[in-house]
Amino acid sequence: MSDLLRLLKLFRPYWLWMAGSIALSLASVLANVGLMAVSGWFITAMALAGLAGVSMNYFTPAALIRAFAIVRTVGRYGERVISHEATFRLLAELRTWFYRRIEPLAPAGLAKAHSGDVHARLSSDIDRLELVFLRFFAPVTVAALASLVVVAVLFAWHPQIAASQAVLLALAGIALPVLVAKAGGAPSERLTHQGAEMTTKLVDMLDGLGTLQAHGFDAAHAARIEALTCGMIAEETRLSRLSGLSTAGVGLATNMALFAAIALAVPAVRSGALAPADLAMVALLAMASFEAIGPLPLAAQSLGGTLASARRIFALADGAPPVAVPARPAPLPLNAADAALLSFRGVGLTYPGAARPALCDIDLDLMPGTRTGLLGASGSGKSSLVNLALRFWPPETGRISLSGTDVADLDPEDVRRQISAVSQHAHLFTASIAENLRVAAPDAPLGKLEEACRIAQVHDFIAAQPDGYDTLVGANGLKLSGGEARRIAVARALLKEAPILLLDEPGEGLDRATETAMLEALFDATGERAVLYITHRPVALERMHALLLMERSRIVDRRAAPQMG
Amino acid sequence: MDRVKTFMKGEKPIATRDLRLSVILSFANGLLIIAQAFLIASAVTAVAIDGAVLDAVLPSLLLLLPLFLARAVLIYFAEQASFRAGAAVKRDLRARALDHLRRAGPVALAEQPTGRLVTALTDSLAAIEPYYSRYLPTASLVTLLPLAVLVAVVPSDWLSAVVLVVTAPLIPLFMVLIGGGAERMNQRQWQKLARMSGHLIDVIQGLTTLKIFNASRREAAEVARMAEDYRRDTMAVLRLAFLSSLALEFFATVSIAIVAVFIGFRLLWGEMAFFNGFFVLLLAPEFYLPLRTLGTAYHARMEAIGAAERVTELFDIPVPARPAEGTTLADGGRIDISFEDVGVVFADGRVGLDGFSLTVAAGERIALVGPSGAGKSTVLNLLLGFVAPTSGRIRVNGTPLDDIDLADWRQHIAHLSQHPHLFHADLAENIAMTDGVLDEARLETATEAAFAREIVAALPDGFSTRLGERGFGLSGGEIQRIGLARAFYRDAPLVLMDEATAHLDRDSEQKVSAAIDRLATGRTLIAIAHRLETARDADRIVLMEEGRVAATGRPGDFAGDPRLAGLIAEEVAE
Repeated sequence: MSDLLRLLKLFRPYWLWMAGSIALSLASVLANVGLMAVSGWFITAMALAGLAGVSMNYFTPAALIRAFAIVRTVGRYGERVISHEATFRLLAELRTWFYRRIEPLAPAGLAKAHSGDVHARLSSDIDRLELVFLRFFAPVTVAALASLVVVAVLFAWHPQIAASQAVLLALAGIALPVLVAKAGGAPSERLTHQGAEMTTKLVDMLDGLGTLQAHGFDAAHAARIEALTCGMIAEETRLSRLSGLSTAGVGLATNMALFAAIALAVPAVRSGALAPADLAMVALLAMASFEAIGPLPLAAQSLGGTLASARRIFALADGAPPVAVPARPAPLPLNAADAALLSFRGVGLTYPGAARPALCDIDLDLMPGTRTGLLGASGSGKSSLVNLALRFWPPETGRISLSGTDVADLDPEDVRRQISAVSQHAHLFTASIAENLRVAAPDAPLGKLEEACRIAQVHDFIAAQPDGYDTLVGANGLKLSGGEARRIAVARALLKEAPILLLDEPGEGLDRATETAMLEALFDATGERAVLYITHRPVALERMHALLLMERSRIVDRRAAPQMG
Repeated sequence: MDRVKTFMKGEKPIATRDLRLSVILSFANGLLIIAQAFLIASAVTAVAIDGAVLDAVLPSLLLLLPLFLARAVLIYFAEQASFRAGAAVKRDLRARALDHLRRAGPVALAEQPTGRLVTALTDSLAAIEPYYSRYLPTASLVTLLPLAVLVAVVPSDWLSAVVLVVTAPLIPLFMVLIGGGAERMNQRQWQKLARMSGHLIDVIQGLTTLKIFNASRREAAEVARMAEDYRRDTMAVLRLAFLSSLALEFFATVSIAIVAVFIGFRLLWGEMAFFNGFFVLLLAPEFYLPLRTLGTAYHARMEAIGAAERVTELFDIPVPARPAEGTTLADGGRIDISFEDVGVVFADGRVGLDGFSLTVAAGERIALVGPSGAGKSTVLNLLLGFVAPTSGRIRVNGTPLDDIDLADWRQHIAHLSQHPHLFHADLAENIAMTDGVLDEARLETATEAAFAREIVAALPDGFSTRLGERGFGLSGGEIQRIGLARAFYRDAPLVLMDEATAHLDRDSEQKVSAAIDRLATGRTLIAIAHRLETARDADRIVLMEEGRVAATGRPGDFAGDPRLAGLIAEEVAE
């Protein structure tokens, strides 16, 4: 219930649109009831007048019929346009809201969430929320209001018919939907989860197809997807049975209303309590008033799945960012030429749930114009240093400072403004090479891009492509070889003009000759930047001013390198 | 466009039986509606005109009750039948699409954005379903039901029948006029949805990268812009769609009003019996109802066609040509391979291999070295069946690789890729890659051999820890070792490795090398080597350049070879 309220609160800015759409929808439903009732009365009255040989005023009912017909058709159109407009405005807003909420969580806060799953939340779950207004809130309000009006009008003619009508409307509009929702809640919630699992499985299948096929496991994985499809269809079948039952149920109630109206009206006509011409009117009015009830069972049924979607969205969006932004961030400090830009003092880190610390007692200073090499095996904690420096994760103990100011006092965005990095999982976007490079420098002219790519030893490759820098990179950059993607990532990091440069295994996937050439050119170009070069391979180490050796989360050896580059 | 429609017709046979059932049930319901109108009209006539008492009309009123029940039952089963039709098509399409993607293989898929494919396999399939569950049954009923109503109306009042016949064609005419424009817009809208979906998954996967460059907040504006574009486009389509249903409803309402007016005046002038007039008036809306339902189903059809285009695109991804049936490999537990003048040209014209010839003896250890783009990965991809040779031939134990059943052949391969993919499953399953019974002892041995035991120990639930897409905060080297454990668990006569020892420290690299020695004993091993150790331990080094063999020989033969020196990294310096 609180989820529903929270959802409705998100709708608040659009309340005027919604009130308008409900008013139009109500007008169109009532116009239809009026149209049927007046038509029934009209022809019966005409027949009676004809039989009696008297004339009658047919202008008023004819004008009413025309008016009702126009309100009915135009009102329906206006209601549809307005309600959808309101819903899509909300959805557009919601997607952006959700992105803004998860953006501070990345990457640490999202580490456990599969990107296929996050994607499902971002698109299909949010899409499903359109049902809250269109299929739930609006139909329920309109049905309630329309039923009230119809029962009140009938009451003026014949209280008993009004009572029978009220009972049947309540059965079809309240009892049936509640039953259907109860029975459908579990299947539709399961369906929502299965849908997310389906996306996850498909992403696994598509991104991991090579591994699956090499191990002869692709058929089994496809069979699992098939099984999941069957499971989803089984749930959908349950829901479809319920929706069939409710369609049939509303139809039955409609017909019973007609039956009751005639059965009750006949004695009234005989006794003179009801005019003969009113019989057809009351019968048709009773039938037509069920139009508004029709969508209710489905609305109630979809509510469970919709709320499950809402809960998933809220659960992810409500996650606390791993690194808090200070309420009043300190201004970015200026750096003295001989002071450390970035320094670690006694920094330690243990990831939640991990058995051993990732970092222990790390002391490290990055000085302007100085290159520091950090050597160590995989799993020794080198990449955690990068995560800490980039403020993706807070240190557990110790202090990290930027130009003397504790980074905890700074806005993480400000900290990152001072740092450029090639991370271990540098991502290339499904876009052109130039667009991928301009992620780092949106306004960089082509000349600058080429300069960076020359240093990264990838310019010749790009220039040899038919589309040059406009060549599209495939999904996850996979159309490129690992080495090409890596070199583009290095060029991108170079393009960001930041005083600190962190290179986490920049030569990964490169052959030795290319790696050496790239690193030589790279270190020639770093100038006054403070560079941290993380590697497990002894390439270009002679260009370092200081060397650190890391083992099992600690820095175990440090020495000043003899050569100055 | 026609291609898409042909594609959708092709799926129809799967649904035919259920569709036919649904149409028959709905038609029966239509006939009962006519009977119901007859009973109601006679009761109302008796009471309002002839002044009958309740007892007189009670028999016909009571007859209505079983009729109502029968209609409820018919409606229920008709809906079930059409649901089954749609579900069967969805299931078949997803299975066929996945089958196609598997045959296309990972090299062809690498060019497709994952998000787009996922949208095609989920949202687009869901949008195709209503074409079969709603549009097709409605389209069959749209002539049947009005015809039945017309047959009932003619004896009561031929003039009304004329009005119905004249106005009916106006409705589909207007629908087509307006619908045509909407269809074109709808195509665009689906492309947009696919693009937005692909973009979102890409942005989320690259969120870390965006943050490093302080571009993640800038990207929020981009997400907002795409969502806003999507809204505007969707509304443009919907507005047209709503306009066509406005036209539809308007014509239906006006036509009923004309029928009512004609009846009313003839009743006033005493030219018509009330029963006939009331009966026809009750049936007139039923005459237009199927047409109006078709109006809404028509939009389902347009959406389905737009979505089907995404799905047909998926079937356009080229599949490497392979004979349908293959033989099984004579299994002596040993594999020898010969490449005979093999050439590979990719769909985009890039040359992967050009006259590549090499004979690998059973049990031999080959190290492939060469600059990036020399075709080393293509050699492994050929053996894995991810790409097919465009010329030349590969033989395995004397049998052409083309003739061997792919699944059977792959059982003979253990593969360690440069970036092993970790699945959304527990660690044990990620290593064993089987959904059969796990061999615990084999799992332990494989983990031990890959020096991955400490990784398992550090995970919260050991082997049962569920791994995410990029592992559970595992480092690149640790993921490599899990991939290695996979290869050990596989226990196959041919081992294919891509830079298997990259990322390991010297200590474990020596142990892993020793383990690979053990693994290689009695097996054929082809490794893409970037490291000296891998090359030095090989029986033979194959130097590749521009898609062919530039030189081959024992590791000793290459001592001091300048071509090799630059390609292979040295040991970690102290």
